[in-house]
Amino acid sequence: MKKIRIPGWLKRVGLYLAVLGPGLITASADNDAPGIATYSMAGSTYGYQFLSIILIVTIGEVVIQEMAARMGVVTGKGTADLIRERFGVKITAFAMLALLLANLGTTVAQFAGIAASAELFGISRYIAAPVAAIVVSLAVLRGSYKYIEKILLILSLSAISYVITVILIRPPWEEVLRATLVPQFELEPNFIIAVLATIGTTITPWGIFYLQASVADKGLAVSDYKYTRLDVTFGATWGNIISAFIVISTAATLFVHGIAVESAEQAAMVLEPLAGSWAKILFSAGLLGASLLAVAVLPLSTTYAVCEAFGFERGLNRKFNEAPVFYFMYIGIIAISVLIVLIPGIPLFPIMWLSQTLNAVLLPVLLVLVLKLTNNDQLMGDWKNKRFQNILAVGLTVFISLVTLALLVTSLMGMSPIF
Amino acid sequence: MIYFSQLINQNVWDGFGSVVGKLEDILIDATEKKMPPIAALSLKNNPAGIKYIPANQIASLWPSITLRVGVDRIRPYSPTGHELPLLDRVLDQQIVDTEGKRLVRVNDLQLARSRDQFVLTGVDVSGSGLLRRLGLEKFGRTIGSMFKKSQETVVIPWEFVASIEHDDPLRLSVSQNKLVKMPPADIAAIVDELDHHTTTALLEGFDNEALADTLEESSADLQMAILSHMTPERAADILEEMDPDEAADLLADMPDGTSETLLGLMEKEEALDVRTLLTYPEDTAGGIMTTEFANVPENITVREAIDYLRNSEEAQEDEVMYYVHILDQAERLNGIITLRDLVMADPERSLDQWKEPDVISVEPLTPQNEVAYLIAKYDLLSIPVIDPENNRMLGIVTVDDAIDVVLPTAWKKRLPRLF
Repeated sequence: MKKIRIPGWLKRVGLYLAVLGPGLITASADNDAPGIATYSMAGSTYGYQFLSIILIVTIGEVVIQEMAARMGVVTGKGTADLIRERFGVKITAFAMLALLLANLGTTVAQFAGIAASAELFGISRYIAAPVAAIVVSLAVLRGSYKYIEKILLILSLSAISYVITVILIRPPWEEVLRATLVPQFELEPNFIIAVLATIGTTITPWGIFYLQASVADKGLAVSDYKYTRLDVTFGATWGNIISAFIVISTAATLFVHGIAVESAEQAAMVLEPLAGSWAKILFSAGLLGASLLAVAVLPLSTTYAVCEAFGFERGLNRKFNEAPVFYFMYIGIIAISVLIVLIPGIPLFPIMWLSQTLNAVLLPVLLVLVLKLTNNDQLMGDWKNKRFQNILAVGLTVFISLVTLALLVTSLMGMSPIF
Repeated sequence: MIYFSQLINQNVWDGFGSVVGKLEDILIDATEKKMPPIAALSLKNNPAGIKYIPANQIASLWPSITLRVGVDRIRPYSPTGHELPLLDRVLDQQIVDTEGKRLVRVNDLQLARSRDQFVLTGVDVSGSGLLRRLGLEKFGRTIGSMFKKSQETVVIPWEFVASIEHDDPLRLSVSQNKLVKMPPADIAAIVDELDHHTTTALLEGFDNEALADTLEESSADLQMAILSHMTPERAADILEEMDPDEAADLLADMPDGTSETLLGLMEKEEALDVRTLLTYPEDTAGGIMTTEFANVPENITVREAIDYLRNSEEAQEDEVMYYVHILDQAERLNGIITLRDLVMADPERSLDQWKEPDVISVEPLTPQNEVAYLIAKYDLLSIPVIDPENNRMLGIVTVDDAIDVVLPTAWKKRLPRLF
């Protein structure tokens, strides 16, 4: 059958996808509040040697995100839909529980980001977190979220300030390169937590669901998949380049002085070479923008995924009594997250990376399912995984499981009293 | 009542009480629409390699699956191609409940004995179906009684269910027949929640008029997605069937090249109407008006007017025909007569006696807000749009299009899951 085919139009779509498609957007979310916290902590505590971890995680992210995008294009369905249709209720319930936990953890981290940036301005978290929760959820529920989206996007662009900072401070590039290419591991709980947090904040369960859904929503033809693949690869690489620059800048400014980041105040010091006394403002604006964006999107997309999988009524165009599960879950995720951040004395910055560790621990559950789906003949046909993709993805899954195991063993052996 | 989930993976016993295998799936006879009978059982783990057992050899399904004959006398069933495997194709899939007019997920299936055969009676879409699958039915009942709410099992009779799986043209056409009978707004709401592949396949079988009606109720994204999967010729045919104002809105959202191609393929008259509408900004009277309105010439009798309307193509196309517009030779508006007055009036009297000569009207560039305000203020059902240069009447804005300012029809079905 002949399709509507206007050359200029298709070209423009292709160009648009390559420039700012779902892949790039998903990858930019790597540098959300927990992301910035994790990379700052890792870079300031372990220096340049952490760059090799970023390199491994980048490859992992490209492989996994590409699989998710491919499933989206080929099947036109969301991850949760496919899991339910292929694996039945029990496995779906298990996977959704893992997703819900991981995303709850990440939402907590976003509120911690909001609270931390507010505290940099001297505003109490007991005011900032609840106000942010109410404002954002009202904006989302009333559908006026689109208007504030652009402002928030601009705020979160401040991640680029790390790139400028690095250029200004001229790090020892030779050492940087060597550290990137020669992996070094330490069998010590805190290092393992940092590795897991980096994996968990880069390759997120949420990212997989989100990317597949947005690729599927675009309804692209399989023949245009090459643009999506380009977008995903480019996006993941770009997101991780920014992450690497955060590690480099914290390594060059804080690690060399023996400051391991424990708070937002310390993390903001990194930007001083660039912004001087404005560093705090620049840092907290970026943190706030990224966190608010994530709070607007993350709980809602989680709720959608779970409701889709179980067939509950869903959608913002439904009334409360038509879709009670949908609204309860949405409000519940936000309320629980705010309450956790408000626990007196809870350390805001460590929450951000510990939540990402949880993400990583839960990730293999999802990876196994994604691997089974992308190897399914009936579902993927000619587009099922190639051998090297399977090797890389299985390798990553095993790697995460081993690191998790290492964390358990080292913690149990009492090498560090973190748990 | 027998539930499918309770049968699957259970032992199948032969007439002498020995196990012949486990139940893998149940095939029903898909040619029967109301209560399809079971055609065969699909076995696994059968040592003799028997795959299908015909329904007439089943003695009972519950509490145990027993056959009438011994294992050596089973005559295997050979599929005819008209069977529907329940586990593979129905359980856990999304289907349309044509009575409740919503998209649901199949949590379980209900079977029953009807005289000498077993039939599929309905689809369980309730939460208790989910709990049964999880083996938590008792737990659900306990919780339910704690809240003094009995867990209802919501079963939709099979005859009200439309399967939307797109890889089976035969069954899809059955579903289309059921779906076409639903109001276009309900079809649009369901289709908005489906993935693109399914949507395209499903709507392929709709005739142009039904499709046009559905599209008018759909979101802009969906309209574009559906049209872009069609041949330009069919897309043009569908645009002709749509109200010119809706068609113009749709074309306005398309890239110039595409909309030009489609306009070129449309009938001259319809294309001209749409082109005129396209020249006005979307938020003005011109942008939301429709050019098809009931009109009659001046100086005729009531009877002549009614006859004229019956044969008038424009009156046929008028969305609502609340008012009949009296035009002079130069298409200037001379007065308005309500359809009610026209019907009640003495057929032999002149039309002029009944007409309302002082008509509230707007110009094409009157802002949409102002139009809505006037319509509300004077309690109108539609308002004429008059060209200020030559006083020609261009079209009408109906009350439903005017109140879209206050209450948009194309509700964004889904919040952009966007960063």
